[in-house]
Amino acid sequence: MTRGPLFHEQTARQRIAALVDPGSFDELLAPPERITSPYLAQLGIPVSFDDGVVIGRAKIGGRKIYLAAQVGQFVGGAVGEIHGAKLTGLFKAAARDRIPCVIIIESGGVRLHEGSAGEIAIAETMRAIFECRALKVPTLAVICSDIGAYGGMGILSTCCDFRVMTEHGRLGISGPIVIEKWMGKKAYDSSNRALVWKTSGGKTKYLLGDADALVHDDAGEIRDAIARLLGKSSPMSLKAVKARQAELAKRLKRFGQTQDADAVWKGMGVRDIEAASLASGPEFAAMAKRGK
Amino acid sequence: MATAKSALRRENKAKRLQRVGKLARGKFVSAANVAQVLKRVIEPGDILCLEGDNQKQADFLANQLASLDRKDLSDIHLVMSCITLPAHIQLFKKGMIRQVDFCYAGPQGTAVADLVKAKKFPVGAIHTYNELYARYYIDLTPRVALIAAAQADRKGNLFLAANTEETPAIVEPTAFSDGIVFAQVNEIVDKLPRIDIPADQVDLVVQAPYPMHLQALFTRDPAAITDVQVLMAMVALRGIYEKYGVQSLNHGVGFNTAAIELLLPTYGERLGLKGKICKYWMVNPLPTMIPAIESGWVESVFAVGGEVGMERYTAAHSDVFFTGRDGSFHSNRAMGQLAGHYGIDMFIGASLQIDINGNSSTVSKNRITGFGGAPNMGCQPAGRRHPTESWLKVGAEANPGPGSPPGRKLVVQMVETFQSGRVPTFVEELDAQDPSIRKALHGVAPVMIYGDDVTHVVTEEGIANLAACRSIAERQAAIRSVAGYTPVGLKRRKRDTEELRRRGIVQFPEDVGVSPREASRSLLAAQDIKGLVRWSNGLYDPPPQFVDW
Amino acid sequence: MEKFTKAFPSKPLKARTTKPWALAGVVGSGNLEVLLERAGASGTMECHVETSIPGYKSSWLAALADFATHYPAGGTKVTIHDQGAPPVLVNLRLRQAYDHLTGGDK
Repeated sequence: MTRGPLFHEQTARQRIAALVDPGSFDELLAPPERITSPYLAQLGIPVSFDDGVVIGRAKIGGRKIYLAAQVGQFVGGAVGEIHGAKLTGLFKAAARDRIPCVIIIESGGVRLHEGSAGEIAIAETMRAIFECRALKVPTLAVICSDIGAYGGMGILSTCCDFRVMTEHGRLGISGPIVIEKWMGKKAYDSSNRALVWKTSGGKTKYLLGDADALVHDDAGEIRDAIARLLGKSSPMSLKAVKARQAELAKRLKRFGQTQDADAVWKGMGVRDIEAASLASGPEFAAMAKRGK
Repeated sequence: MATAKSALRRENKAKRLQRVGKLARGKFVSAANVAQVLKRVIEPGDILCLEGDNQKQADFLANQLASLDRKDLSDIHLVMSCITLPAHIQLFKKGMIRQVDFCYAGPQGTAVADLVKAKKFPVGAIHTYNELYARYYIDLTPRVALIAAAQADRKGNLFLAANTEETPAIVEPTAFSDGIVFAQVNEIVDKLPRIDIPADQVDLVVQAPYPMHLQALFTRDPAAITDVQVLMAMVALRGIYEKYGVQSLNHGVGFNTAAIELLLPTYGERLGLKGKICKYWMVNPLPTMIPAIESGWVESVFAVGGEVGMERYTAAHSDVFFTGRDGSFHSNRAMGQLAGHYGIDMFIGASLQIDINGNSSTVSKNRITGFGGAPNMGCQPAGRRHPTESWLKVGAEANPGPGSPPGRKLVVQMVETFQSGRVPTFVEELDAQDPSIRKALHGVAPVMIYGDDVTHVVTEEGIANLAACRSIAERQAAIRSVAGYTPVGLKRRKRDTEELRRRGIVQFPEDVGVSPREASRSLLAAQDIKGLVRWSNGLYDPPPQFVDW
Repeated sequence: MEKFTKAFPSKPLKARTTKPWALAGVVGSGNLEVLLERAGASGTMECHVETSIPGYKSSWLAALADFATHYPAGGTKVTIHDQGAPPVLVNLRLRQAYDHLTGGDK
């Protein structure tokens, strides 16, 4: 039962090394350039050489990509000015060069210490993502760790063509603690980890169509999913947006009033909730398909 | 002919039960009357035993006791394993306690330290579990014992379920000395799955309005094990388990030993150690042992207590765990501690502080915890006579003199050189030696395990074989050699370390064939709680706080 | 924050390395990042440390000195951003970065 390292436990640099073709990664704004956050330094908070995001060019299966990997351990992967500028520049370069762009997200959103700069950077990155999509340059988000994609990064991930998730990944806008603070512990108990994952975890997001692939917590399988999706792009037409809107309205009508996370799973055709809870990502995907 | 004393005790017991009168129907007391009943059966000057260890608690009875006041009840000599609940602290604050004799105060350690400072904690002594149980038969025999059971039948027979723990050790001395045994139960049923305590040793029973408190004390989430802990586990497996051929053992509850359990089916298997080590265990049903059990490493496990969520798993593995005829798990704290004292090759555990002589303690100035069971197992049992391979091997290294036994139990302290927040584990002198603490404890510093008993110290730096040291100076040098960059470690002399390393008394990871580069969480057989559930084929039901699916 | 700089004598690093720099670890609670670069005089390992927990300079210097003794690291510059890592991690990260730089490990 010895396995390779779990993807969700790896660092951003280890993830990149595990995903891309050996030796193909060419880092942009590499650590020796020492482009670190001036704000954190002023506040006496340790800085990092990559400001919490590693970016560069790489190849997956011989195919050129631009790649970013956020560092969740560094201030929660939060987006500050430099971090944000790196993301914006990367997606702009992708649009300019017509090269697909993959982002491994692990972030709670904007970095509070440099809030405005972070907000603006995320908005600019979204604009660059839409530029890519207008040009049919594939954009892809990988969400595979407990830190997940929240706040502005949650929204940004849904701007991409596709999302690859694992059962460890979470996707949302407000984090569990924030929801509990505003809605009350009765409505949402953020310490109930089962509830949190049932509402924002990879399995539920896959059921609802927010994630396009639900794969093992393993670099090889994530790489395969990326390679599969990089061949496609999802159209950004009025028709597509309207169809998505109709889908969301239907979802709200169906599940908007439910208090029970299991009800969503049942409603989406999962029969054995307990088995589905324990199942791995791909097993769950198979169960969900049978349910449909 | 009865002696005067026993006749008096028997008469006195009858009088107390008479005073209960209509507040009970037969043995059965309603929850609403419990406080009144306690007031009537307990007398000033009594030795009162309140059941509660670090897992199960007679919490309803404790809360009812704490609802009384000094005018209702005072001059009590309290004897109990663990001061765990806020209700226990209330008894002291209300001035009801004349003296307390106990073992452990984990969750209330800070409150106990505060009581000591306020001179409201009249302590007799802090004991180890079996030491206190022993005194229940000698000079601390309870007049009244308040205990906890899972179920009672209509006659008052008790079923203790997985957490038998110390109930028999309390009931026997109380019941056979004309004391009063008062049990709280979760439910009253017509037929028990099995009888653990016969009705004629039970005087009063109440069905508590809420189930007894049970702590999931032994559940360690593999997700929290670090690479450094994996490194230490690899070093311990090679440098101790493999070297001495450890067959029977006890593990503490920390992440270090959890890492060892999870390495057995992977790293241990690769080293070809399956069937050669770790066959017989005296340990609670640790969820992190599931992969090793499923992989066929474990012959038997006897436990001092149960573990929340392991009920179905243990019932399905009665070939490994001790179970009743009904199939449910059985534990016994006194017998488990005895087994851990005499029957095992090795005790391995962690500590918060270790001094340069190898003494260890979990006590600090602001937190008085005590001992529990570790010292029963983490010591050299002077009465041991049976040899094992491991016992003789360590004994030969210790080079015993003509007046000492030929073997030694492995007593291993496994610690990182720093606790979290860069607090050094190694110190020149233990906090437990603080004069105010010693004064409160009648001159005895609360040392968990004495340096003389410790055979090995394992840190991320390596192994110090204290058993093989020939002098106190050598032992100190060996400890400094593995104390890393703590102030204690920085005082080591290079020449001493090199000499000890040459003699094999100090071993670094590479000396036992471990490359720190290899130490990675990916070696663990399960990386999270969900992995344990999968290994158990769905038979392990982890407590909700550990479930994220 | 505490910052300090010190150079330690060390045998020269081998002439050729796979790349001019290597980074190991991340800045996170109880963790640190180490950037190891080819730079400076061939007989010294020049160290720059920024740590969020002040007061442990002597431990740091001892750990770095040990590393400079055990490994030929002359002609390198070590820069560390620390958020309260225990010394064992300092050692481990230095070693990882060193292995990356010298191609001893992937």
